Amino acid sequence: MADKLLFSVSASQVSSARWLGGRLGTSTVFENSEAGFAAFKEHLAQEPNLPAHMIVDAVEEDYRFESLPHSFGSDRGEMIARKLKQHYRNTQYCNARIQGRDPGKRRDDRYLFCALTNPELINGWLQEIIERKLPVAGIFLLPTVSAQLIEKLKLKQTNLLVVSIHGAGLRLSFFRDQQLRISRLARIDGSASQAIKNYAEEISNTRLYLHALRVMTLDEHLSVLIVDRNDSLKDLEQTIGRDNPNIECRRLGRQEIISSLGIAAPALDSSSDALYLHLLGPRPPDNNLAPANVTLGYRQHQIRRGIHALTAVTVFAAATWCAITLYQIFDARIDTESAKRQTVDLQRQYQEATLQFPAAPTTAENLRRAVEISQKIGATTRTPEVTMGLVSQALDSHPQIVMKSFAWKYGTTEVEGGREGNQAPAAAVPVVPLPNAPAGAKRKESALVEGEVRPFRGDYRAAIDAINRFAETLAQQPNVAEVRVAKLPLNISPNLTLAGNTTDSREQAGKAEFTIILVMKPAA
Amino acid sequence: MNASELRALQTPLILLLIIVALGAGLIYQLDQTLVTTKRELSLQQNQMREARTRLQKSGDEKDIIVRYLPSYQYLQRVGFVGDEQRLNWLEGLRLSNLQTQLFGVQYSIGSQQPYAFASELEPGQLALQQSVMKLNFQLLHEGDLMNFLAALGKQGAGFFSVNQCRVERLGTGGSIRFQPNLRVDCDIAWITLRPSSPGDKKS
Repeated sequence: MADKLLFSVSASQVSSARWLGGRLGTSTVFENSEAGFAAFKEHLAQEPNLPAHMIVDAVEEDYRFESLPHSFGSDRGEMIARKLKQHYRNTQYCNARIQGRDPGKRRDDRYLFCALTNPELINGWLQEIIERKLPVAGIFLLPTVSAQLIEKLKLKQTNLLVVSIHGAGLRLSFFRDQQLRISRLARIDGSASQAIKNYAEEISNTRLYLHALRVMTLDEHLSVLIVDRNDSLKDLEQTIGRDNPNIECRRLGRQEIISSLGIAAPALDSSSDALYLHLLGPRPPDNNLAPANVTLGYRQHQIRRGIHALTAVTVFAAATWCAITLYQIFDARIDTESAKRQTVDLQRQYQEATLQFPAAPTTAENLRRAVEISQKIGATTRTPEVTMGLVSQALDSHPQIVMKSFAWKYGTTEVEGGREGNQAPAAAVPVVPLPNAPAGAKRKESALVEGEVRPFRGDYRAAIDAINRFAETLAQQPNVAEVRVAKLPLNISPNLTLAGNTTDSREQAGKAEFTIILVMKPAA
Repeated sequence: MNASELRALQTPLILLLIIVALGAGLIYQLDQTLVTTKRELSLQQNQMREARTRLQKSGDEKDIIVRYLPSYQYLQRVGFVGDEQRLNWLEGLRLSNLQTQLFGVQYSIGSQQPYAFASELEPGQLALQQSVMKLNFQLLHEGDLMNFLAALGKQGAGFFSVNQCRVERLGTGGSIRFQPNLRVDCDIAWITLRPSSPGDKKS
């Protein structure tokens, strides 16, 4: 419960008290006079800058209980504003509060309209508070505050009349189903000898008044709660009980007020309105009469408090975040330093260990890898020896074949050359189809053999047969992947023109030259 | 809320904005510091792990050095490891020519380039280079080619790989005198290897 300043204004006096730490302090009372006003001004100058809440206890008040069509949102707001303006043209201190709905078919909303009809009563005091720049949170009629009394005492009576003595007179507030319906302040001189009798009569009259207003009938049971803060109304309870048998009367004495409502005795004794200031402290009622221009300072005060709270939360959150991050940084730096020390230690141990190593020109890994690479190079290099040997063996078994040139290549592509003249159809003697060599393909050996058939006397069939047999002999070798006759003495392809003569003269027969491409299987 | 009402809240609003800005700036700065610190920690931990692994494997490392150092030193001597030894190659050619009684060898050596088939050998941090040497010489008979290549390999002048060779018969008219009968063109790649970074060398 936030700290606040509480004021109770009546026609005769003003009570001022602080609500600090959830407790009501002692009230200071100022008479409604020039001296009292000046004292009040001085008093305000010493008060802390806390929100001000004001109770008004005046005869010039009005309560109207009215049913209006059920509505929502802005419609409801406009309707209520219109009603307030209609009812209370001469005061800005008015309020309407919904109190449930009618049980009828229309289910109209029931409102309690209330107003302070004489603003002059509080204007002077209020102006001083505003000039002191105290934020005015609200202005409440005393009966609306006394509703808290019913709640605190957990009174469940259907018709309850709360009676209490104030500086301005006898206050009678009627509650129907724990909700304020009407209240009036009767100016009765409490010092007169017949005061108790007058009070009792006023209570009886009030019952008739309620009946006249059709708030309750005379047949209905009425409970009366006498709030007797200074135990001066002990006789009133007996008088009412004697005069009105159908009225249930209960007196709330000083001690019971202190014990059940939690107000300190000095605070209670300090002012006739102290009890209501105490009830206002924890939670103001909803019936706030203060217009927006009066509560502007309070709204600003609330927003400022909100901003300050947000600032505090931001500072706290940022500080927490920074603290956690700093801790993580600190922790990570400790770990880093520890890792550095361990690394240096491990490196030192390693250096000590390497003193036992034989002197080497490079790292052990480089040594190993260099030796392994040299071994791989030795294993993967090729010379023409194997291919030449194969061709040589084939030539031995085909004496009519004479080799003119031999080319050999070890690479990812085949040996080039031998593609001119009478080219034979591709893959004349395929052994194993060679897949297309992709990028990064394995190297393979390939050879190109250029030769001729001797002797050649113009018998192309015999010469071609000899060349093909030679190629077949090569292809039968296990290391050979493919043998292609790239060029024959005569191109017999039907796509080309073929011309020559058929003389048996050796000199005129020409040469039976050929080219064979030999591809070895790639190394495993 | 109108302008004058907002003006009344100016100070706390400015204070809030300053606090938010300062807080955000501080948080951002600290977060950046944290990221950097964590990165340094991760780096340092990696170095520590590497150092630990290296220490744990120091025994293996010693075994590797003992096992491979002689071979490595041999490779250095024959010119496979280290800079190119072109003089050694030419000396090897000269000696091979003499030993196989060829009729002289013409050569031309190209500029050094990365070895084309290095990826087959998984060299790691080692750099494999090659210089292609074009040879042109004449033979009495085919067998001398293999004798010459074998002799060149045995000279200890370096590592080479034969890329291609072409042997052509010379028109000698069937004479049996001691004279060249074949002409040979060969491309051989002299391969060298060296650690790519001088920092790899042990002190």
